[in-house]
Amino acid sequence: MRDGQQDLRKREFRRFVSWSAGAHLAVLGIVVISPGFHSRFDASQVIAVDLVSLPASALAPSVAPALPPPPSAKPVPPAEKAPPPPPESPKPKEVVLPKNPEREPSKPKPAPKPQEVAPKPEKDLDDLLADMRKDAGETAPAPKPVEQAAVPAPSATASAGTVKVSPEVLAWMRKAKLHVRSAWVVPPGFRREALETHVTVELDASGAVVGEPKITQRSGNPWYDEGVLHAIVKASPLPPPPAAGEWDFVFLPEDAAL
Amino acid sequence: MIEGGKGKTYRIAVQRFADRSTPQSAERIARFREALQNALEFSGLFQRVPDGAFLGPLETESLDDGAQIACPDWTQIGADALLQGEIARDSEGFRVAFRVWDTARCRDLMRRRYVQKATANPEDVARRVADDVVEAFLGVRGVSSTEIAFVSDRSGNKEIYVMQADGSNVRKATANGSINNFPNWSPDGQAIAYTSYRQGNRPLIFLSSRGALRPGRLLQSDGRSQYRAVFDPIGERLAVVLSNGSSSEIVSVDTDGKDVRRITQSQSIEVSPTWSPDGKRIAFVSDRTGAPQIYVMSASGGDEKRLTYDGAYNTNPSWSPDGLWIAYETRVDGQFDIWLIDPEGKVNVPLVTNERSDEAPSWAPNSRHIVFSSTRRGRADLYMIDRDGSNLRRLTGDAGNNTAPNWGPFPR
Repeated sequence: MRDGQQDLRKREFRRFVSWSAGAHLAVLGIVVISPGFHSRFDASQVIAVDLVSLPASALAPSVAPALPPPPSAKPVPPAEKAPPPPPESPKPKEVVLPKNPEREPSKPKPAPKPQEVAPKPEKDLDDLLADMRKDAGETAPAPKPVEQAAVPAPSATASAGTVKVSPEVLAWMRKAKLHVRSAWVVPPGFRREALETHVTVELDASGAVVGEPKITQRSGNPWYDEGVLHAIVKASPLPPPPAAGEWDFVFLPEDAAL
Repeated sequence: MIEGGKGKTYRIAVQRFADRSTPQSAERIARFREALQNALEFSGLFQRVPDGAFLGPLETESLDDGAQIACPDWTQIGADALLQGEIARDSEGFRVAFRVWDTARCRDLMRRRYVQKATANPEDVARRVADDVVEAFLGVRGVSSTEIAFVSDRSGNKEIYVMQADGSNVRKATANGSINNFPNWSPDGQAIAYTSYRQGNRPLIFLSSRGALRPGRLLQSDGRSQYRAVFDPIGERLAVVLSNGSSSEIVSVDTDGKDVRRITQSQSIEVSPTWSPDGKRIAFVSDRTGAPQIYVMSASGGDEKRLTYDGAYNTNPSWSPDGLWIAYETRVDGQFDIWLIDPEGKVNVPLVTNERSDEAPSWAPNSRHIVFSSTRRGRADLYMIDRDGSNLRRLTGDAGNNTAPNWGPFPR
């Protein structure tokens, strides 16, 4: 009899937990897609950059090592709702993003895993909702740092082809590319051809090229590709990167004229 | 004579090639090296590193497979590339071997060795080497070892001349005191077909071969004028323009002047044939619509298609050896500009525009450059320009008017 009552209470308790979890999920969904939620991110400081193609694994280290880790993956706004790029947004295909965060000597702490909704049964629904709003940042009074908002969710980036890069990283990208340009010779005859070479370069903290740069997408003209590799190695060391590790570069013939 | 701007170039250190000859000749080595460096610079791709900057050895020590170089010695002086080599000239021949290094990545890009005739002069061998070095960086051979035939009135009448592609070593190919025009190289570079008034004061086609004492007539006269002959890509036949005064047609003949086949059939004026590199098509000019326009047809005639629609006067087509483009001249305000159109007529872009006339384009055998005649300095001079519109350079000096250039093939 006592066992029967306990079984009944357990079943009721499980039912409550299931219902509670569903309710929390629903509330979370409402919170995340509400306009007010996104308005807390300071879009004016976020620079959106179009990507050519970028492996999802390349995205995480777009936060500079010195920056605090994002509190959660949840607050990332869907990419399709990202603010329009500012006028100074760089041309497409000029994106340079670091890869392999594990190579960074002073890598930021990994972002905590997104929390699954698993409320403890001791709390009542209001408590749980309050916790979730807090997790979602709804009650946070101050705007979050740009860099936190700039961390894209890989899936969002992949679907929209847009990622935000902090101004610090962007400034380095420009400097690095200018530096490589100074060593780059685009042979006559290649300058107006539709050539595009993607290269991954490993850099140490001082900007020195480590090993041989790797071509991740060939232009179709091996002599053009070789010229790009020559220029990168010749240009070493590049300006010190925000983080040591692998960085992606894209080279178009018209870049050489800049 | 070269004049014009350059883009950014690779800095190349050229070592003095080791002399393995018997007997040795410092003068030959020096001539070879100077010609080599000039030819590399002519490509528009390289500039030399002066000897005084060298930290590494001035002369090649070894070309052995295992031989390494101290790359920092070269990168430190800003050299992108290092060229090493050796020469051995004896009664057997003129042998040359070389190795090109990418000094930044410290790896060799190309190693080659070949034998030329013992009588070959050092400059010619050096240009062959330079053209190979260009290939190591560009994927297509350089053209310093090629020649350009052209017409000049520098001696008082129009004669055919030949020069190196860089404008050096100009020599006469005809000296008949008559009017000579439209030189055209055979694909093996051993003969030039041209039009001459040397017999009977009528234009007839002649063939002048290297080493031959006298030029020969290409085909017997049937009473019509023979205006221009153009070799097909394999040197078996020529397209020839024949005119009766009121109209002209294009025929093809074999190199003995036999097997004459008519390939255009209209009553209009049809001139300026140029073969596609596969020999299957011919682009030409016809005034069948009332004004000269460029058409493409089968090399055996038929299947004609009009190519140019922009501009009221388009002529002098030249099909690139890689088949991608047809260069031609178009009249604008009474002067001519040079444009490029693809053989399907889908892309049509200007290449050379100037308030004076730019005429008679002819492709380099690597399809990277075009030589043409321009009156931008008053008299007609020959210029070359890269296919992308860069590296405009004047090739002829101040002697006479220089016209009708035809770029020869790679030497064999």
